[in-house]
Amino acid sequence: MNNNVIDRSKDITILELLDRVLNKGVILTGDIVISVADIDLVYLGVKLMLSSVETMEQLKSGRSIST
Amino acid sequence: MINDLIYLYCITKSPPQLNHNMEFKGLKSIVIDNFYVIIKYVSNSEFSEENFKKNISDILWVESNAREHIMVISKVMESGTVIPFKFGTIYKTKTSLKKFITDYSSSLIENFHNIQGKEEWSVKIYCNRKVLSEQIDELSEETATLEKKIMASSPGKAFLFKRKKEDLIETEMNRLNNSYGQEYYDEFKNLSESTRLNNLLPKEFTGTENTMILNATFLVSKNRVNDFKSTVDKLIKKDEKFCFIIEATGPWPPFSFISIKEKQ
Repeated sequence: MNNNVIDRSKDITILELLDRVLNKGVILTGDIVISVADIDLVYLGVKLMLSSVETMEQLKSGRSIST
Repeated sequence: MINDLIYLYCITKSPPQLNHNMEFKGLKSIVIDNFYVIIKYVSNSEFSEENFKKNISDILWVESNAREHIMVISKVMESGTVIPFKFGTIYKTKTSLKKFITDYSSSLIENFHNIQGKEEWSVKIYCNRKVLSEQIDELSEETATLEKKIMASSPGKAFLFKRKKEDLIETEMNRLNNSYGQEYYDEFKNLSESTRLNNLLPKEFTGTENTMILNATFLVSKNRVNDFKSTVDKLIKKDEKFCFIIEATGPWPPFSFISIKEKQ
């Protein structure tokens, strides 16, 4: 079972983090505020990041076979 | 560099303990309408409308700032109930921040009342469809019956039944995902004051091969948090060799349970 989020902040996945801080339930206020289009951009970034991690892992495993 | 934009983290009713914490450099607690408003002055180079939009596409920038956002609010939450704000809520002047607080003060009070003594917990459940398909005959009467037919049939007939079974397995896996998802949800819901269902996220966002079958948030009374946690533990233990993977995190600031209405 997980402990308090503060203690484990570094273990929280980016997805879980964004799910909370960009949550649609949170109040939309402020003179400058993140828009729905901006949120789509953030998730696009997550997708790119995850796919590049996957590519890195594939490359690494490819390399280990060849050596 | 001039820091003249105001980044709003959260509002609380009790004086926050931030002074001795070096990692929260620059944080300020200002009092408006009997609320403690937790802010930081930030620079135009990062948070002006134009620059903020640019930074949003840099996922590493977003991640580090989103982590700080959570850390600050969680720290404030240690000394009292908080109303958290969305990541990157910026005011250009103190006057406009004050106007927001004043205009919405009755709704803020109502929200404090609703979340007082409660915690937000997140539960995400995934299904390993490969493991589920291997266990399908134990879980689905229909596929088990068809399997018996396959075993008792001639090779030609068995071939046709096998093809039929492949389709049936997909249908049955979807049905089982729904029914288990519902069962788990109901179990947690019974221990909560309020719940929110979030969108199921596709694999390209979760970075796992498993399929998300439940993405829910629960508002749990502090005196039932232990029951909630032991239910999570119980289900994780029960499902150790099973195809469902349960991930629970918390306590989170109550992001999902705030609803602010402007004064009529």
